[in-house]
Parts: sequence; structure tokens; C-alpha cells
Amino acid sequence: MAQEPMRQPQEATVADRLARLRTDLSAGAGTAPPVMPLGLPALDSHLPGGGLVLGPPHEIAPAEPCDGIAALAFALALCARRLAGVPGEALIATSGHPLPYGHGLASLGLDPGRVLLLEAAGDREVFRALEAALHAGCLPAVVGLVGEGLPLKASRRLQLASEGSDPPLLLVLRPAGAGQPNGAATRWQVSSAPAAVDRFGGLHAPRWGVRLERCRNGRGGSWLVEWDSAAHRLHLPERLADDAAPARGSRP
Amino acid sequence: MTRLRRAGLAPEDGPHAVAAAGPGGLRLVALDGEAYALGLRPGELLGRVRARIGVPLHVHPADPEAEMQALHRLCRWAMRYAPVVAPFGPAETCHGLYLDTEGAAHLFGGEAALLDDLAGRLARARIPARLALADTPGAAYAVARFGKGKSPEKPAHTRDLILRRRHPGGGLEGGLQNTPRSLKPSPGAADAAPQDEDVWWESPSAALEPSMIVPPGEHAAHLATLPVEALRLEADAAAGLRRLGLRRVADVEALPRAGLARRFGLAPLLRLDQAHGRRPEPLSPLAETRTFSGVRGFLDPIGRQGDVVAAARSLMEEIAPRLERAGLGACALRLTLHRVDGTPRTLEIGLSRPERSPERIASLVRLRLERLGAGLDAGFGFETVGLTVTSAETMDARQAELGGAGTGERVAGLADILAQRIGRRLVRLAPQESHLPERAEGVVPWVAPPLPYPRSLPARPLVLFAQGEAAHDVFAAAPDGPPHRFRWRAREYRVARAEGPERIAPEWWRGGGAPRDYYRIECEIGRRLWLYRDGPHGPERPAAWFVHGMFP
Repeated sequence: MAQEPMRQPQEATVADRLARLRTDLSAGAGTAPPVMPLGLPALDSHLPGGGLVLGPPHEIAPAEPCDGIAALAFALALCARRLAGVPGEALIATSGHPLPYGHGLASLGLDPGRVLLLEAAGDREVFRALEAALHAGCLPAVVGLVGEGLPLKASRRLQLASEGSDPPLLLVLRPAGAGQPNGAATRWQVSSAPAAVDRFGGLHAPRWGVRLERCRNGRGGSWLVEWDSAAHRLHLPERLADDAAPARGSRP
Repeated sequence: MTRLRRAGLAPEDGPHAVAAAGPGGLRLVALDGEAYALGLRPGELLGRVRARIGVPLHVHPADPEAEMQALHRLCRWAMRYAPVVAPFGPAETCHGLYLDTEGAAHLFGGEAALLDDLAGRLARARIPARLALADTPGAAYAVARFGKGKSPEKPAHTRDLILRRRHPGGGLEGGLQNTPRSLKPSPGAADAAPQDEDVWWESPSAALEPSMIVPPGEHAAHLATLPVEALRLEADAAAGLRRLGLRRVADVEALPRAGLARRFGLAPLLRLDQAHGRRPEPLSPLAETRTFSGVRGFLDPIGRQGDVVAAARSLMEEIAPRLERAGLGACALRLTLHRVDGTPRTLEIGLSRPERSPERIASLVRLRLERLGAGLDAGFGFETVGLTVTSAETMDARQAELGGAGTGERVAGLADILAQRIGRRLVRLAPQESHLPERAEGVVPWVAPPLPYPRSLPARPLVLFAQGEAAHDVFAAAPDGPPHRFRWRAREYRVARAEGPERIAPEWWRGGGAPRDYYRIECEIGRRLWLYRDGPHGPERPAAWFVHGMFP
């Protein structure tokens, strides 16, 4: 008898709490996490929220062992695109990859003066450096070049560290390391492709074959993209121009 | 002379003199005993002296800077007696130092004992000195230089070392003047005061002058009988007083002050008042060398990481206010851990910006210990933890930004964290003045300001090999044209497009070599490479091709 009036308010509070949780959940689902749009509707429409989700790692792997440079260039192009809009410096932590060449970065449209480099002795060190950089929250872009893949444990740690900060976290892998189960938001495969040719038959703008292999809450796809290093934007090559006969035939 | 002899520059035999440029040529400024015995006096022209005496005279150039350093060394040494030591220089017509003995004399058994000790040590070090103790620095100076205890020909006109004492009861200033007969009198002073009294005579075997102690409150009587030069006046002012027949301090004192001030300015009155203690005379003591360190001992040895970090933090909390008073911040720290078995372990912690926050230092220490892990090897524990600032820089007060720390500051924090946690430095790429691709870029610490890259350069590869990698089986359609087909890294490449050549000549000032013709090629599968031909193709020398970089 004495417990009856006590239980009733308790039940009421439980019901209230459940209702509140439900509303919270629906509200939370509505707020999209911040993204970095690639500026290319064809790609952005495949990505949840219309761009690369800021926070969780994004894997960029070469399609073939010899395409490592294309994967690196694609990641740095995204980094250049990010830096073009915000002040600050990007961190590139490398292990097992050659250091980028400053003049080449400038050719790609990424200001070498806004790049901080860290040469680590192994993937573990790279992950720790990336974690520290995410915790510091002072860099607008963080890129890791790792030799092996991204293990599940490291991806969890990175995801924890990235909560509350907003740099896009790009990881460039070697082909052998790609495909591990981990918490990466997207997984890209990049391959080299013949470059755009200008009117005089010279190499004009780099092109890469980009395949969105895995995308959480999104759709995969495959595109041929062209990088405009002056405007810092990706675009799809024009079909007609692409189908012109190669200049090779006319050569002596 | 004493400085020269102590430095081993003036051997004992032969007359020695120090000369400096003065009016009319080189003039003697200091002599040793032998030279004095020959009848030389400071202030004389060197040429005339050489003509007069038949003995070769060793002449050394005057070096005021070294003399000042010698005086400072003496000051540092004199700090063993009292903490306040103030050197003085030409402004008081000679060199010497004041020592404030107040509160320090009893440690040596009284003033007389302190003076004896000081005189004995100076004598053993063969630094001739004249000591006097009086109520005020001015009185001590006067007594030391012009007191009755010395023979009239041997007043020490050199560096004066003066110690000051303040009597707790009467608020009087006591002074102990100590004149090491070490170095040269200034030539100007010697000229302007032509009396023999201003000549300082140094004899290697001279015993120390009897030091004089003026009892508290009796300095006025002592001062009255001294010559007016004892008031530390400019040479011409003293000469002017003498011309008027004012030879003693008492004569000056007897005059009406207003007239004196009108004729000679305020300086004689100021000096008189200072000597009598009627006006304060603040000394500017030599700054203490600043070291920032702290040590903590533990009765029970500590071994846990958290304890070491806590000790480091509390040590930094001790050091931080000292750094702050000095306006400095630590740039490098050394954490010393002494193990129970006596093995010390030191950890160097570098910072990219001056820092004095205990929290940040502690967090860096924690990261460092975490990286060491078991490598620290605490053994049975550490019984002493010491923290020393090994490098400090001025640290201006920084305005805290409203939104927290500024970006630059946070990047500096990140760099420190990476340095401690991983042991790697953040770097930045910087262009270098060279046309050779492999020499056109270097790596600098991230704190260096970014340099602009040249914009007019043709396209450069994203990855450049430190050395060109040889391409084999090159087939080129024309001997001086781009390759058609080649093999590199165990792979066959067929060139679809080629751009070039871009000729880069070697740096002739570095030994030269053949000029390189660079081609930017794209192979059929879309890979873009940077190839160069090393030197021109010749009939007896087939062209060598190298891959030097990869384009995106």
C-alpha cells in the first residue's frame, strides 16, 4: 500500500525519459555531421551529406602498386582544396612514403609554406601523431601516409580523437594495406589516367581514375576526374574532347 | 698590471708599463714597481719616457674592456663576503668596488675580522688592495684613497673596491673601501691632478696597506682632514677648488652652500652630502647570475610515473615565478632523476616557444615518460628529482585570446607534444637557391617562417628521387629527342606523350658535370614521369637516361 504511490511517479519518469530519448534520437538523426564537399555534384551526390564527413578517417589507396603517386596526388589535391578555403596549415605525417617535393606541391596548387611535415618511423607513430594533431584541433587538414593499412584499433582511436574537431582526416595507403576492416568512412581507389592535353599537345591537367569502393551511408561509384590546380577544383573531363584521336598517330 | 700578471702576459722581470692613447700620443697609464723605481709616472708620454730611460720597457696596450671584466670577476669573487657588490668606474675617477657589509660582517666575526680575511685573501692572490670601512660609500672611498694610513707617494689611484654597511640603529651608511691596486688609473685623471698623490705605485712585494675602519658616526672627523679630491669630484672641479685655496674637505664644508653651488655646480655639494650620509647614495649592485632550477629529495624513493610528473610540476611551480620576474620563459629543460643506486637519468625537454606554465611542462614530461615506458627503468625508485632550465629566452606577456589559445600557440603546443611523444620534429619545406632539382629544396624546422616558392618554374614532379634512377633499354627515335620506350623498376614503359626538353646546367662552382635534358613524359597507361638524359648523345658515348621524379 505504501509503495503504490511511490511506484507510479517512477513509472511516469521512465516513460518520460523514454519519450525524451526518442525525441533526442530523432533530432540527432536530423542534424547532419559537417562535411567537406568535393565541389563535384557527381561525386558529392554519392557521399552522405554531400561531401567527405569531417572526423572519421578516409582511406585513399592506389589501385595498383605503381599508382601510389596518383593516390598521393588525389589526397593532396583534396587537401589543397580544403586549405584554399580556410586559414592554417596542413599536417602531413609520413612513414614509408617518399616526402613530397615542395616545388611539385606548388605545381599541384598546394602552397608548400602551409604544409607541416612529420617523418615518422612507423605506422604506429603516424597514428599517434595524427591523434595528437586531431586533439590539438588547430590544423584545418590532416593527412597520414602509412605503409600498412589502418587497423581497427587505430581507426577507433582516431575516431575518438576527431570528435569535436573538424579537419578532414585523409589516409594514403599502400595497396597491400587496403581492405582491412576498420572504421573508415570512405575508401577510395585511385589509378593514373592519361592527362588532359592542351591545344599544343602538352600535358595540361592531371587526371585520375577514382573509384569510391566503400562509403558508409552512401553509394559507391567510379569516375574519371581532372584536377585544376589553379582553381583548386575537381571536374569531370568533357567527353567530346576526350574522344579525339590521340596525337600520337601524327608523330614521326 | 695585476690583470696582465695574473693572465701570464707580464713576466716578472723587467719594467712593465701599460700605455693608452692620450693627449699628445701614447701615455703611460699603469706601471709596475720596477718602472716606478725608474722614476716613471703615469701620464707621461711614452716616447719621452723611452728616450729618458736606458732600460727596455715592456709596454702593453690598455684594454679597458678586459679591465672591466677583471673588475667584474673580482666583484663576483667578493660576493663571498656580502651579496651586494657594486663595481664603480671612471665616473668616480678610478675603478673599484663597493661591498655592503651590513648584516654580513658578523658572519666573519666582526668587521675587523672580515677586513683581515679579505686583505689576507687578496694578498695571497697578489692583488694589491686598499681597504677602508666607513659609514657611507663616499667616506669609505675618501678614507681608502686619501686616508692617513698610507704614505703620501703611494695613494692607490686604481680600481677602488668599496663596501657599504648600513647601521640598523642610526640608519647611517657605513662603507668599507677596498682598493685593489690592480690596474691603471685613467690618463685623464692623472693629468688633471698632477700631484704625486694621484700616481699609483705598485710593487710586486708590497704588503697590503693597513686597512682602516672608521667607527660608526665618526666619518665626519675623518673626512674633514682629507684633500678635496677625496670627494670624488671631476678633475677640473677639484683643481678649481684647490686654486681657491680650498685644500681640505673641511674648507669646503665651511663655505656657504649657495655660493659653492653657484660657482662649481651642484656636484661638490652632492658628493659632500653623500659622503656625510645626508643624502642617499644608492648602489647598483652587480646582478646575480640567474639560474633557474629546483631539486626535490624524497625520503621514500618514488618510482611511479605520476609521482615523477607531480614532482616536475611542483618544481616548475617553484621556478615559474622566478622566470616571470626575470621576464623569461624556458626553452629547454632538463629533468634529472637520481636513482637510489646513484645512477642519474636525465631527460631533455625542448620547447618550441618560451614557456613557464607548470601544467604544460608537466604534460610534456608525462608524454616523454610515456614514450620511454619501461625504458626509464626506475629500479628501486628515484630519490631526487631536479628540474633545470637549460635555455631561457625573453618571454613577453602574451595576450590571451578570447577564444582560447591562438592557432600559432596551439601549433607550437602540438609540435612540443609530437617532439615528446614520438620524438620527431615538425618540419617545413623551404626552397633553396639552386637550379638543380635535388638541391632546390631543403627541410627547416617548422618555426621558420615559410619562404615563397618561385612561381615561374615549369611543372615539377610531386615526388622527387634524391638521385636519378637509371632507365634501361632506352629506345629514342632521335638521338637528342625524348625516349620512345624504356624499362624502369622492372617494368616496360611506352611513351605516349613527351614534353621538353628543359635543359638544366650543372653548377660549375660545384664541380660541374654534364647538362641534363629533362623530359616530362606520359606513358600509355597514364603514368607521368620526369626523365633526363645525362649529357649529350655522342658517337662514343651513348646517352644515359634517368628517371628523377613522378608527376601526379
